Amino acid sequence: MRRKLAALLFAAALLAPTACGSNNNNSGTATGSGKTDKVTVGVIPILDVAPIYLGKQKGFFSNRKIDLNLALAQGGAAIVPAVVSGQYQFGFSNVISLLLAQSRNVPVKVVCNGNNSTGVDGQDFAALMVKGDSPIKSAKDLAGKTVAANTLNNIVDTTVRASVRKAGGDPKKVKFVELPFPDQPAALQAGRVDAVFVVEPFQQAVLAQGGRKIASSYVDAAPNLTVALYFTSNQLLRSNPDLVKRFTEAMQESLKYADEHPDEARSIIGTYTKITPDVIAKMTLPKWPSDINRQAVQTLADLALGDSLLPKAADVNALLPSS
Amino acid sequence: MRSRLGLGLVGLLGFGALLELAPRLGLVPSRYAPPSSRIVSALVGEAREARFWSALADTLETWAIGLGMAVGGGVVLGILIGALPLLRAATASTIEFLRPIPSVALIPLAAVLYGATIRSTLVLVVYAAFWQVLIQVLHGVADVDPVARDTALAYRLGRWERVRYLVWPTALPYVVTGIRLAASVALILAITGELILGSPGLGQEIAVAQSSGAVPQLYALVVVTGLVGVGANLLARAAERRVLSWHPSVRGEAIA
Repeated sequence: MRRKLAALLFAAALLAPTACGSNNNNSGTATGSGKTDKVTVGVIPILDVAPIYLGKQKGFFSNRKIDLNLALAQGGAAIVPAVVSGQYQFGFSNVISLLLAQSRNVPVKVVCNGNNSTGVDGQDFAALMVKGDSPIKSAKDLAGKTVAANTLNNIVDTTVRASVRKAGGDPKKVKFVELPFPDQPAALQAGRVDAVFVVEPFQQAVLAQGGRKIASSYVDAAPNLTVALYFTSNQLLRSNPDLVKRFTEAMQESLKYADEHPDEARSIIGTYTKITPDVIAKMTLPKWPSDINRQAVQTLADLALGDSLLPKAADVNALLPSS
Repeated sequence: MRSRLGLGLVGLLGFGALLELAPRLGLVPSRYAPPSSRIVSALVGEAREARFWSALADTLETWAIGLGMAVGGGVVLGILIGALPLLRAATASTIEFLRPIPSVALIPLAAVLYGATIRSTLVLVVYAAFWQVLIQVLHGVADVDPVARDTALAYRLGRWERVRYLVWPTALPYVVTGIRLAASVALILAITGELILGSPGLGQEIAVAQSSGAVPQLYALVVVTGLVGVGANLLARAAERRVLSWHPSVRGEAIA
């Protein structure tokens, strides 16, 4: 019996180094007025995060004694747990994912704006698109049709439903299937889905194969919609408010700079993605205002509640920093 | 030997030609399945970039560390468990329970523990590769010739000497097989971890190429992972031949 226990212990030992490691890894909490803080931020390799790369290059973070390390993760789903466990000090995620996390009592707090829609219908960095020869003319015609969304029950289906509603259709009759953005152009071309909701660079890919925009759902959902935000864990906010403050300032400066220098933002995209230069030149960039559009976040929360994504009304003020 | 190598090359070139022609003839859409010439030129482009080489180095590092930990743990524990019949009986069911758990099922756990770091990928790599080695070592230890064992006992060889001169040479061919199996499994899990968890390496580069819609680059990186796999296997085979030069299986291979 004792030996069996030993065997179990050995199995546990395999995982044990793992279990202890996560505690002493909060490099970001090493504080001190003169010392540089090592900060890891979880981001996704998409154009939305261009400002943080630009800000790093411009020295906006090192100015504030932040040694910034950008970790590329596969989607926000991997970033939220890593921020909560202290692997990353900050993360980038879309608004709905953060509202969902908050509704499940995940201790996250927004620190800064991420990116917004351009606010211009037909000229956004994301679009609801159909094949060139599709009979679908507007979002209203999507009743009974299949729309591809990169993640179900998230920002894409919420905003696409807003487009359908705005066009006078019944959003309940639209069917959504989950399909990653990179797979959507091919699925649309092959007729496996009737419409796709794609962000850049896949908007360019669909346009290149003759596709057509029928709506700018991010624009339809709310004016100048805030799409994504930078956030941290409540723990870091409590243990090192000074670091959070410095990061937020650096991030706001980066957003402002990127918004004022779109050409520099465009050229930095080529350094952390593999988007080809000709596509980078054609892409529509998002807007990067430094302030959060609180009204738009509230609208998204209301839409998500109406679509029963959220179990109860979200406390937007608790998630967002006090203004 | 030389003609077989030649035939292999012809086969490979034929496969390349097929991949070149299929999209060119419109059998598959070239946007999503680019011809091999474009993949090769994307590969050349990748090879010019520093981040490609650092990704390759990261993958090899993850692979080597993971394999090293799995082999070290597997050999030591295998000999220990194998040498003590009671311990072996006690652990058999636990091992048979833990071994079939697919390493990829641990991805959520690794993500929560370590996020997108090399360490989280190492959890997957070590877990998958460890069992390959351990099982082989256990079989190897059990394969000790009873007569040889009795002889060793009759000559009053100590515990350590029995391990050194009896158990180890018997188990060695099994150990080497285990390492060879573990080497390829470790590579698969290293790429998987990088691709899904986003820890640095070739897998992450593949994911970035995918989310950038850079299809030729994506295939080019897949080709690189294949080359790394071939390299790992060649290395393991060369090591096998060296370590087991005295063993009938290797000597027999040379004759046939």
